[in-house]
Amino acid sequence: MGDPGVPRLVGVALRCYPARWRQRHGAEAAELAALLIRDGTSPWSIFLSYLAGASRAWLVPRPGRRLSRVACALLIAACSLGLSAGLLASAAPARAASPGRTGEHGNCQPGHVRDTPGTGRPRVRIGKAGHDQTC
Amino acid sequence: MNRGNDSSGQDVLRRAGEASVLILISLADGPKHGYALIQDIKELAGVELGPGTLYGALDRLERLDLIESLPADDRRHPYRITAPGAAALRVHLDALERVSAAGRLRLRLGGI
Repeated sequence: MGDPGVPRLVGVALRCYPARWRQRHGAEAAELAALLIRDGTSPWSIFLSYLAGASRAWLVPRPGRRLSRVACALLIAACSLGLSAGLLASAAPARAASPGRTGEHGNCQPGHVRDTPGTGRPRVRIGKAGHDQTC
Repeated sequence: MNRGNDSSGQDVLRRAGEASVLILISLADGPKHGYALIQDIKELAGVELGPGTLYGALDRLERLDLIESLPADDRRHPYRITAPGAAALRVHLDALERVSAAGRLRLRLGGI
């Protein structure tokens, strides 16, 4: 992979591949990059192509390694749940403390409670200066 | 494994992606290495395969036993289409032909 005809950029992308891939294709991939660059292909497009290929190579499970895929899926799910919980936790106190929010319904005071027709559920009505609002 | 040799005649290349099909077509007339494949596919289909896409498709096809790697000459590994690979390509091209014929017929019937 230390091919002098291969820009450092391409070498970086090739180093992103799993070791087993580099052992198999590394030297050939570097030579191919050198040939394509000689033909006028932009090193950046080769870099991006190898980078995308490297990410795909990491996602492909090796034979007999099905569990790693399941483990990855579980890890992603756990991270997503953790992130969502963190966002909710940080948003809740901010909402409670926000003056704009309380100001919106700052005049909300329960007037009287009566049943919503047909549902039998209680509904709080606020009567203020000629218009009714429901909170 | 031998998933390419599907006795049911099912099109195993239906979801394989354009790159895989083009690689099999290119290998149909003889073994080629990576650079020769890129050049040939550019010539025959006008598609410039990126090297990352090429190696991804080669690995996938090899896992499916549709192609095999030959002993390296210098640093280059030539690849050869296998018998199941040729069968899978034939099934896929037949399916494409049927769809193409149906499309042309409908265009004629629609007067477009």
